[in-house]
Amino acid sequence: MRTKDFAYWLFLAPVLIALTLVVIVPMLLGVYYSFTSWNGITTGEFVGFQNYIDLFKDERFLASLWFTTKFSVISVILINFIGLSLALIVTSRIKTSNLLRTTFFMPNLIGGLILGFIWQFIFIKVFASVGEMVGMESLQVWLSTTETGFWGLVILMSWQMAGYIMVIYIAYLQGLPKELLEASEIDGASSFQRFRYIVFPLVAPAFTVSMFLTLSNTFKLYDQNLSLTGGGPYNSTEMVAMEIFNTAFVQNTFAYAQAKAIIFFVIVAIVALFQVYWNKRREVEM
Amino acid sequence: MKEFKFKKGLLASLLVTTSLLAACGNGGEEEGSSAEGDKVTVDIFQFKVEFKEQFEDVVAMYEKENPDVNIEITTVGGGEDYGAALRSKFASGNEPAIFNIGGPQDVADWKDSLAPLSDTAAAEAALDGTLEGVTVDSEVLGLPYNQEGYGFIYNIRLFEEAGIDPASITDFASLEEAVKTLDSKKEELEIESVFALPGKEKWVTGLHLSNTFIAPEFNHNVLDAYDSKTIDFTYSDAFKKILDLQNEYSKQPTVSLDYSQQVEELFSLERVAMIQQGNWAYGSIDGIDPEFAENGIGMLPIPVEGYEEGGLPVGVPMYWAVNKNLDEEVVEASKEFMDWLYTSEAGKTAVVEDFKFIPAYEGYDTSKISDPLSKAVYDASEAGETIGWVFMGYPTGWGEDELGSNIQKYLSEEATWEEVVDSAKAAWESSRQ
Repeated sequence: MRTKDFAYWLFLAPVLIALTLVVIVPMLLGVYYSFTSWNGITTGEFVGFQNYIDLFKDERFLASLWFTTKFSVISVILINFIGLSLALIVTSRIKTSNLLRTTFFMPNLIGGLILGFIWQFIFIKVFASVGEMVGMESLQVWLSTTETGFWGLVILMSWQMAGYIMVIYIAYLQGLPKELLEASEIDGASSFQRFRYIVFPLVAPAFTVSMFLTLSNTFKLYDQNLSLTGGGPYNSTEMVAMEIFNTAFVQNTFAYAQAKAIIFFVIVAIVALFQVYWNKRREVEM
Repeated sequence: MKEFKFKKGLLASLLVTTSLLAACGNGGEEEGSSAEGDKVTVDIFQFKVEFKEQFEDVVAMYEKENPDVNIEITTVGGGEDYGAALRSKFASGNEPAIFNIGGPQDVADWKDSLAPLSDTAAAEAALDGTLEGVTVDSEVLGLPYNQEGYGFIYNIRLFEEAGIDPASITDFASLEEAVKTLDSKKEELEIESVFALPGKEKWVTGLHLSNTFIAPEFNHNVLDAYDSKTIDFTYSDAFKKILDLQNEYSKQPTVSLDYSQQVEELFSLERVAMIQQGNWAYGSIDGIDPEFAENGIGMLPIPVEGYEEGGLPVGVPMYWAVNKNLDEEVVEASKEFMDWLYTSEAGKTAVVEDFKFIPAYEGYDTSKISDPLSKAVYDASEAGETIGWVFMGYPTGWGEDELGSNIQKYLSEEATWEEVVDSAKAAWESSRQ
């Protein structure tokens, strides 16, 4: 065993130093600040758990947490459903599959902010014009109500992330052993049965990865939220990341925002770890 | 062979580490080099993106006149981004010599860094009332950028065609009358609606519109608002009436209507007759239709029923502050530059003609103010027919985050006006405890 000798640590050093400087130290500082009345300029006095007590009574924070949870659950289901469907389409024997792969993946190459503005244009202008033409009132109010703002975000996010998730599923689908599928076919399994009992369990590892990615991405969403709705109307489509940003930079209560961020971190960590643990148990080893 | 590979790896890792360290070292060196020679370096950290280029040109001129001063400008635009950027700039230890502050709250936050400016010529020349927000214990801590004002910007041609004389609009009743006339002639005038109310822009409703009705309550004094523990909303009925009027006759839905739709798409293309905006909208209108911007627009006051119905809200949007924690010579050089900018002949010309500012100082040739909106604002300020700006004295985040978003609630019919007012009052009190 020479893994723990001097050279081992030397090789690790650059990464460790970088990680400590940009992740661990700020994190610890953040924890410290969350116990003070820091306003971004001066640290202020030590206030103990006051910030944490306040935030559980903060209706706006709780509302944004609930909104984010709803958004995440629906988005995770939709993105994975669409991603898997797209993957199944492009791995089936259709001629344009390469073109389709590229097309489906394309939205993921555009930055979140820009996507938000593009979709804002679609929802506000295109939807309204179509609504005017066919005389549908409900198409003309997009993004001006909480519900349409919510679904606008879900549509935007699904459109953007489904292609990326599709790529992950494709990788697993292509790795499926052909003999298993063939054997099931000979045994007389219908295509649905084949999918349900052979394909589905075998791509389970892809679920673990995809769910983790979608879950953490939707929970921490900020830029799409900012450019599409900006939290409006009346802050009702404000997600946690944005709420924390506003607490810090609009209301200038940095320590309070820091406390919120730590609670948020804990929630995301618990949810993500639980999800990975749960998914892992369902994976089938070959 | 294995040994060789190991050595190569070691070398690579060493290289990475040293280059990392070297990068850190470099930053320090650069800082040091700025103090080289006899030159004094003044770092300016400012927020007004619109005049960045003109400002840089003027600064270059100053540097030519004063070869021993080197001015570095950093511009970070947008209200909230600037605040965050300024904080990180200070936190990094690389403090700017001149930076921007907005009002009493900023003064309180930054008071450990603000140099007294009472002895500067610029402070001497500042117009009455423009220094209120930055004066603490009769010590001036900031210098005004300029003056700005807002009201209802209207389309002169449409008013003429509808047979309305803008001069006759002096109170709420006559405004309502005019709006109804315009609305009844929508088809002939080829407009979509009378107003465009940008409910999405919380600063338009929560800061500007509300200020018109809250300023009288605090004697137009930003410090009174800043020191007040409570707010009464004395003119809340008048406030509601104007908001309702704008909303009722606006293009719908108002909650998702933003600044660019309001000013550029609807007003500049003459699809609405009137918008609530300020002289800063001139640039946007000019960008779409210079001819229209030059000759086709005017500004009307926002009438406060039961109070003054003819005042334009005019105020100072931002102040310059000098950092007192730096070397004495840097502080002096900063003050000299400010004095030069606002009181020397060359500076004055630049302020009015290049920056297109409405000066907040005495002794300017105001006939050079060219655009109609700035002119209206300046005339109102000359005549004393103004309403003060007190929204810088609102509790932090109250105007936009609290009142503005509750107004959105009201516009979406999710809350009554009483609920909006009550929750705004409660929020004011709780943040002033």
